[in-house]
Amino acid sequence: MTRVLICDDDIMIGEALHDVLTAESDLAVVAIAHTASDAIDLAERHLPDIVVLDVRMPGGGGIRVARELRDRCPTTRVVAFSAYADPATVAEMRRAGVTEYLVKGVPNTDIVATVRRLARGPFGKL
Amino acid sequence: MVHSGPMPNPPRRRPVDRMPESAFQLLVEGVVDYAIFMLDPDGHVASWNSGAERIKGYRADDILGRHFSTFYPPEDIAAGKPDRELEIAIAEGRLEDEGWRLRKDGSRFWANVVITALFDATGDLRGFGKVTRDMTERRRAEQALLERRRLVHHLVEAQELERRRIAWDVHDDSIQSMVAVGMRLQLLADRVPEEHVATVTRLDQAVRSAVERLRMLVFRLRPPEIDRNGLVAALEEYLGDVAPMWDLAHAVRDELEREPPVDTAITIFRICQEALTNVHKHARATAVEITLSTVDRGTLVVIADDGIGISLTRDHQAGLEHFGMIEMRERAETAGGWWTLGIRPEGGTAVRFWLPTTSDTA
Ligand SMILES: Nc1ncnc2c1ncn2[C@@H]1O[C@H](COP(=O)(O)OP(=O)(O)O)[C@@H](O)[C@H]1O
Ligand SMILES: [Mg+2]
Repeated sequence: MTRVLICDDDIMIGEALHDVLTAESDLAVVAIAHTASDAIDLAERHLPDIVVLDVRMPGGGGIRVARELRDRCPTTRVVAFSAYADPATVAEMRRAGVTEYLVKGVPNTDIVATVRRLARGPFGKL
Repeated sequence: MVHSGPMPNPPRRRPVDRMPESAFQLLVEGVVDYAIFMLDPDGHVASWNSGAERIKGYRADDILGRHFSTFYPPEDIAAGKPDRELEIAIAEGRLEDEGWRLRKDGSRFWANVVITALFDATGDLRGFGKVTRDMTERRRAEQALLERRRLVHHLVEAQELERRRIAWDVHDDSIQSMVAVGMRLQLLADRVPEEHVATVTRLDQAVRSAVERLRMLVFRLRPPEIDRNGLVAALEEYLGDVAPMWDLAHAVRDELEREPPVDTAITIFRICQEALTNVHKHARATAVEITLSTVDRGTLVVIADDGIGISLTRDHQAGLEHFGMIEMRERAETAGGWWTLGIRPEGGTAVRFWLPTTSDTA
């Protein structure tokens, strides 16, 4: 079972993500955070395998969360999920150790596939 | 100047009788556009002309013999300005000043004043020549221009701020909600009975393309990054983003002699954006070119496409219902410029507009 933490300040998006992920039998959502600080706290508490992370959130934003998680939860992998696709933001997230970037509006199947791929680990092992 | 070769023959002049002094006096007396009169060495009015009467409102009888400080407003008199002006004229031969003066009825006018000290052959001060022009109209026009610049500046700022607000609202609210709706519709498509799947899928597609359009809107509403590398770079960057999406070859020709001030540049950028959107939506063009040049102390911009050209129906000419055209024209005219749309002889459409340089250094 892959355990996922959702971070998005938009409540509707958070809930929709929750439903999309929990519809898959191999994915479980451990919590939904709506601020950057919540996200860090909840990640430390639950140590999820994957964090689906909005880039623009109140309280420092996704970039801060990604940096903190890299130090505090080294086994947790991050998928950026954002309405922003501009190169500067992508580069910023890359520097914070985020390798997967989903633009809001992609099909649900892409979201699920990306979470699964990342959960299998960085070297593509099954 | 250096002449080489033989000197040209000097033009022949008809020998004239020197005009009698009285004729010259007639000339001075008859001039109505300038107040031209003399002061005695102590500053009393010693002569008067028609222009002086017209500008200042005194007839010769009223004013001859009175001290010229009568023409100055009280604050200048309190500051000792009239005497000081005479002193400077004596010391330097001449004094020029612009400021408020009083008419006989007490009303003020904005005057350009030249006072010349007159010395006789032995070097004694004989008096002063005084030439005054009424610059009230010109000053009013200058002030109106300044006021207009200030207003245009505020308008451009307010428009940009409003755009940013709309962009954030659409981005943070509308797009997010629609993305969430789309995600739910996809979930629904897996759960509804077979006969409804097609409908739900179509809904999801409609939502997704609406999200795409809103994204494009947010992108267009973004503030142009003119501060960083200037107008031409901002336009190139924008074209570089949209032209590939729109399958358009593109070029920006920079013939600017100087960078327009930021307000003007933002207005130019926004008009270009609107014109480019039209090229994309209506022209069926393969290429678009923007040319910027410095003309008549302003900036001339031409956005030319090689598309189907435009046929102006009555609606278009009346400017009805087509906000793009209205917006472009209004932006240009508000900034004190002009805007036109025309067919190019070689095919396609050209939007042409000119904005004056509005910087205070111009
Ligand atoms: N570059 C162009 N090529 C062809 N037609 C154009 C071009 N620009 C404008 N038009 C025509 O002028 C009309 C008015 O444009 P506009 O005022 O921007 O309104 P809108 O784009 O909303 O239709 C367009 O509907 C189109 O028919
Ligand atoms: Mg239009």
